[in-house]
Amino acid sequence: MRNALVVDLDRCSGCFSCEVACKMENGIALGSYYNKVLTVGPFGEFPKLSQYFLPVACQQCENAPCVHVCPTGASYRDPDTNVVLVDKAKCIGCKYCMMACPYGVRSWNQEEKVVEKCTLCGHLTSNGELPACVHNCPGGARFYGDLDDPSSDVSKALAAAEPDAVHTLTDVGNAPATSYILSKRYAEWQDSSTLQGAGRYLQKKGE
Amino acid sequence: MEIQWSLVLFTVLTGGAGWALGCVAVDEFTQKTKNDTNFIAAIVAIVLAAVGGIASVTHLSHPENMLAALSHPTSGIFTEALLVGLTAVFALVYVILLKRNAAASARKLFAVLAAVFGIVLAFASGASYMMDAQTAWNTPLLPLAYGGTTMPLGVAVYLAVALAKHEEGMGQYFMLLLVGGAVAAITGLFYGVATGVASQEPLLMWGLVVAVGGVVPAVCGWLGRKMPPSALALAGVAAGASFAGCVALRCAMWATSAVVNNFFGML
Ligand code: SF4
Ligand code: SF4
Repeated sequence: MRNALVVDLDRCSGCFSCEVACKMENGIALGSYYNKVLTVGPFGEFPKLSQYFLPVACQQCENAPCVHVCPTGASYRDPDTNVVLVDKAKCIGCKYCMMACPYGVRSWNQEEKVVEKCTLCGHLTSNGELPACVHNCPGGARFYGDLDDPSSDVSKALAAAEPDAVHTLTDVGNAPATSYILSKRYAEWQDSSTLQGAGRYLQKKGE
Repeated sequence: MEIQWSLVLFTVLTGGAGWALGCVAVDEFTQKTKNDTNFIAAIVAIVLAAVGGIASVTHLSHPENMLAALSHPTSGIFTEALLVGLTAVFALVYVILLKRNAAASARKLFAVLAAVFGIVLAFASGASYMMDAQTAWNTPLLPLAYGGTTMPLGVAVYLAVALAKHEEGMGQYFMLLLVGGAVAAITGLFYGVATGVASQEPLLMWGLVVAVGGVVPAVCGWLGRKMPPSALALAGVAAGASFAGCVALRCAMWATSAVVNNFFGML
């Protein structure tokens, strides 16, 4: 079993519903995130400019560096669901996992002084419900399910996508399991390592 | 990422302790010192390692959960904790053997064990930062620079103890200081140039790591080789300079931390 998300950027309108629903569902502090919607671009030559929205959360890496570096096993892979999780009761707050995550998608809980991150809403999915971000996406752009099950929503979304429209964030050996669908007719996918910028707006390096 | 001072102190102090224990082990074989130097130097090294270890714990928000580390004994932090513990225990056994006038072979054995684990730690504490995601850290040149920069510190600390105990004939240790300074400068330089950290932090890397932390101890080593009256002062200057160089290398490392993407802006 490999539970993960697929995000169809062809359908994402950048409305922030997933981000807000995630914060509400998981009680995330102001300024912290489990899921954040970013804007990539505009890039290209005027008047042929492109831009797309990129919602980011833990990518459920198959070779998760955060799990490898964690000294206490607080960052671990759930043996039943294969989801990468944090057991806060074991976290010593060393932040090594934050240093090791290639995408900076772990959060520091100021109040509890522990690391936390997207859980793929395990409390909901274990009861047969969808993660809050998937359930609340008005564009139908988010899919959740088992990548190893051909009948799951994620597998079907990937099977329906044009092969050259399926992307992942830059892989530095961590094998991110989250896929993004972005067709060339909407925008050219930008390798995430070529992006820079603070806050919500990312530009191509050098532009 | 902001500079993690407790980790800076941890890696500098334990690295210096490791190399100082290295000098103690060398002296167990060469028998250059006559007074209580090895006893005091080993105690100083144990104190440095202990202070470094305590410093590293202050970096944690929940040290009370540390026992869970036993369930994941392959992590860098676990390896470091194990190496500090073993170094301190072997050094302590050595000190006790020394005080009890135990057999030379037993003393030598424990001096070597403490030195080996201590020096391995000096490098291993840099290896923990080799992460695929960290573009400026993910190179074996980083642990080499971590270990290399602490070499003159440990030798200078040993020399300072020996000279304070009025030892004579420490010329060879000053030559070791010269070598240590060169090793610090070269390993620091290689790391800085190969990763681009030297161009991002030129003052820290060229000024402090290479010039102050490498060249100054090397010059002190050269000047002290014939044991001039200023030998103790030279050892003190070398210790201070290499401490500054060690700290600068680590600050430069933290200042240039860069993951592939820092999407949440938490780093
Ligand atoms: S995206 Fe980051 S937090 Fe998620 S599994 Fe990968 S390394 Fe861990
Ligand atoms: S901060 Fe917590 S979860 Fe992260 S590596 Fe340290 S102990 Fe593990």
